[in-house]
Amino acid sequence: MNITWRLAWRNLWRHRRRTWLTVGAMIFCNVLMVFLISIQLGSYTMMIDNTLNAATGHLQVQHRGYLDDQKMRQTVPAAAALAERLRGTPGLQSVAARASAFALASSEERSFGIQVTGVQVDFEAGVSTFPGLLQRGRYLREPLADEVVIGSVLAENLKVDVGDEITLLGSGLDGSFAAAIANVVGIVETGIEQVDRSVAQVALPWFQQVFAMGDHGHVVVARVNDLEGVADAVVRVQQQLSDPDLVALDWDTLQPGLRQAITSDMASAWFMYGTLIVLVAFSALNTQLMSVLERTREFGVMLALGLGPGRLARLVGIESLIMAALGLGIGVLLGALVVWYFHLFGFHLPGMEEMASRFNLPDRMYPEVSLVSIFWGPGTVFLGVLLAAIYPALRLYRLQPVEAMRAV
Amino acid sequence: MSAIHCQALCKTFRQGEEVITGLNNVSLQVEKGEFLCLSGPSGSGKTTLLNALGGLATPDSGEITVGEHRIDQLSKGALAEVRLRNIGFVFQAYNLVPVLSARENVEFVMQVQGVAAAERRRLADAILEEVGLTGMEDRLPAELSGGQQQRVAVARAIVSKPELVLADEPTANLDSKSAAELMGLFVALNRDRGITFVIATHDSRVMAYARRLIKMVDGVVVSDEQQAPQF
Amino acid sequence: MALALNTVATLAWRNLWRNYRRTLIMLAAITLGVWAMIFMSAMMRGMTDSVIGNGLALLPGEVQVHHPDFRRDPSVVNRMPAPSEELTGILDSPPVTGWSARVRVPAVVSSERDSRGVVLLGIDPQREAALGSLPQEIIAGRFLESADDRGVVLGASLARRLETELGKRVVLMSQDPDNNVADKGVRVVGIYRARLQGTEDLFVYAGLTPMQAMLGIGNDVSEIAATADDYRAVSQWYPQVEAAAGDNLEVLPWTELDSYLGTLLKVQDGFTLVFMVVVFLVLAFGLVNTLIMAVFERVREIGLMQALGMKPALILAQILLESVFLLVLGLVVGNLLAWVTIKPMESGIELSGVAEGLEMAGMSATLYPTLDVRDMLMATLVVLALGLVASILPAWRAANLDPITALAKN
Repeated sequence: MNITWRLAWRNLWRHRRRTWLTVGAMIFCNVLMVFLISIQLGSYTMMIDNTLNAATGHLQVQHRGYLDDQKMRQTVPAAAALAERLRGTPGLQSVAARASAFALASSEERSFGIQVTGVQVDFEAGVSTFPGLLQRGRYLREPLADEVVIGSVLAENLKVDVGDEITLLGSGLDGSFAAAIANVVGIVETGIEQVDRSVAQVALPWFQQVFAMGDHGHVVVARVNDLEGVADAVVRVQQQLSDPDLVALDWDTLQPGLRQAITSDMASAWFMYGTLIVLVAFSALNTQLMSVLERTREFGVMLALGLGPGRLARLVGIESLIMAALGLGIGVLLGALVVWYFHLFGFHLPGMEEMASRFNLPDRMYPEVSLVSIFWGPGTVFLGVLLAAIYPALRLYRLQPVEAMRAV
Repeated sequence: MSAIHCQALCKTFRQGEEVITGLNNVSLQVEKGEFLCLSGPSGSGKTTLLNALGGLATPDSGEITVGEHRIDQLSKGALAEVRLRNIGFVFQAYNLVPVLSARENVEFVMQVQGVAAAERRRLADAILEEVGLTGMEDRLPAELSGGQQQRVAVARAIVSKPELVLADEPTANLDSKSAAELMGLFVALNRDRGITFVIATHDSRVMAYARRLIKMVDGVVVSDEQQAPQF
Repeated sequence: MALALNTVATLAWRNLWRNYRRTLIMLAAITLGVWAMIFMSAMMRGMTDSVIGNGLALLPGEVQVHHPDFRRDPSVVNRMPAPSEELTGILDSPPVTGWSARVRVPAVVSSERDSRGVVLLGIDPQREAALGSLPQEIIAGRFLESADDRGVVLGASLARRLETELGKRVVLMSQDPDNNVADKGVRVVGIYRARLQGTEDLFVYAGLTPMQAMLGIGNDVSEIAATADDYRAVSQWYPQVEAAAGDNLEVLPWTELDSYLGTLLKVQDGFTLVFMVVVFLVLAFGLVNTLIMAVFERVREIGLMQALGMKPALILAQILLESVFLLVLGLVVGNLLAWVTIKPMESGIELSGVAEGLEMAGMSATLYPTLDVRDMLMATLVVLALGLVASILPAWRAANLDPITALAKN
């Protein structure tokens, strides 16, 4: 090891307690940040997945304007055929067409206005988790059967169970009166009350018949293999759309709240992290300044011997670097252990279930283990500590050897 | 060419309201291989003169030439370079880097000079042997006596083979025996290597070793005499 | 003793400024920490107020009375009679500042072009005004004038989706208690804008009396909502309402009506404290460090004082006082800084860039940070109390130095 590094290392341990307190502040801050950021990123991923997997998918083809107005006549012509065609697009995992219409659903005892969705029985499971969340009964099977699957709360409100009939009243695409009777074959429970209160799915062809839609649908939903590839997929899908009225939209456009919720949560989290990082940097600044000031005499001798102030500044910089590296290394190690533990066993905050379900999160969270989640926070602390060395190092340039040697 | 040539050096300090004269029109010529003592009471200007010769303090007026370098005209960086290569410094005791061993204290300066690692170690050990510290290379300053610490400082000062060594009260804080040993080392280095020594001191034990003795009072050279060293 | 303390205080103060750079850096750190604590609390409070305020405006009220089955099954079947005299007695007296009995049923509203499922509210506008649950803003036409008003007021987003407008007719359709379709053509007399777009799509306002007539339920209502204008105080008065309502009705405070909001309030208070403690812990490392250094530099001096006969307790007091001076200075500046920075922001910060994300959390796009003296007090208390605890170790070490060794130290 080079003498400068050896010197820096030994200088750090002249005040063992001071160095450990400074490094301790970094370690504490780092462990905390590794843990919080991992939980945060983990919950963002879950939030995105859970929200998009439920029904939205990663991208959708819609009639221009449908997203805002959701009017019945804003259709996608030949929706099932388009879905079939898009299935060959590279990067897309699964594609399914849907149509939806408003209808008054009545059982013997109750009536509710609901949004009925026609889905492709064979493909819906690829773009939505509903088919897998059956509480009772079975999912839709036949494309033309008069069958409906509804959410558990809706079933309760309508006072119907599997085997009962509900009447659907609405208007068709052509403005005609649409009416049909469907058998409840399955009841879905997602655990999210809002969804369980509103979901009602029927087979797409049957839907098109009842609501006089012809071969039209309202959206073609797709999931991609890799969330990072959504932008490319949107471009590829858009290129295949010959109808100028159709647009391919990514999840960010479909659910603008999602990314913004993440952004605003990030902002407030980073306010907290920023505060901690600046405080740690102050702590390091104080330590380095002390260590420079108390060595004034020593530095004076070195200057007199002909060492330039730049060399002394480098020495102080190396000392900070070692401290920062210790904080980084130990902090990341401990932080990673904590994160790893919770990654295996999950993290549960009692009393947070309500908050969690509002953002489509389960009540047990699993932190994300990745280089980013682990090194993001500590890396910033590392940089902050190095920045804090600038002021003490600069003071060395103002040092006059003769006066410095006279200092006590 | 002489070792040191200075002409009409003046330097004043401010201490509170008072203006203190550090050097008042001092001129001095030192030949190569001289062994010279600057003496005088504190505040006489001897340390100021020494600092000026080493480029640690810039005179208000006057010229200083050390070897071939015009000290008063060099930039700070160039001065540092001259001190690093051409001038050796020995200060009062306790001027070693406390966390470096004897060998590392010597090596540290050489590293700055850009000497290769293996060469550094060889030179450091040789020079430590020369100052009589064989076997103590790995001790930290705190584990050495005051005299031994000063010998490490001497080793550090001469390792770059300077033509000139400036020493400021090198025997302060030393007992008589250590002081005598240190002066013996200075004399030997002066004799064997031809290094010019300028020593500022008010220790009469030190003055006895000098071949030339300059007395200063209030920034003025009051006497400048050759003398026969008593040892 | 008082004199001694006086001397010690002077000493502590002067010592603080001996190494003024270190003191200033530490002071800056404490100030920043305190500021961040209060700033974060103000933001959190503003956020919580916004979410809860929006939530309560939607609920509405802080206490609601329902048929026991209504919340699970919000049908017209689960209705209740108009409030009894005993209940109105409670609702008309303080601290209740407003209450309203309303019809609230799921319904379908159809225009010539389209239909949508909504929640139909049959209300008395005067009572709703006292409750504070009127729509944010009427952007066209007027709001309902009385409980007998025969018009209907739609949200702007709903009107757009139905392709209807002011003055046009729409059909309201719901079910009567016998599950027959109850419908009625009404004229759109007003369009409102709400803070959240979801609200505009969901709620349709109509007069109480015409709705009761349409549904054939006489004077019955679906819910009674009451407010006392301070959501934190609800636990003090809702038991009286509960007693007056009798056993056949369900009376719940907002914390249970919307458990998300209830949790949020708890989480906010908890998080604020946790944040303060975490910030303090990071500060504490620096504080302890500064004190240890201050003691370390003065070992000789302290030894001298001991040799001169100063009692260890006074030395302890001196170091603690030094810490207290530092903390108090930091607290004063930090609190002032927080006041100065937050006060101008209380008129609102525009966050429209992430409006939809905030809507997901139930917040409006404008955040109103709320500087609360309680938060300032809490931050001050946390810093002072924990700061003293952290200072005890260095102070204790100083007080227990051995004078001989201390004096001998170079």
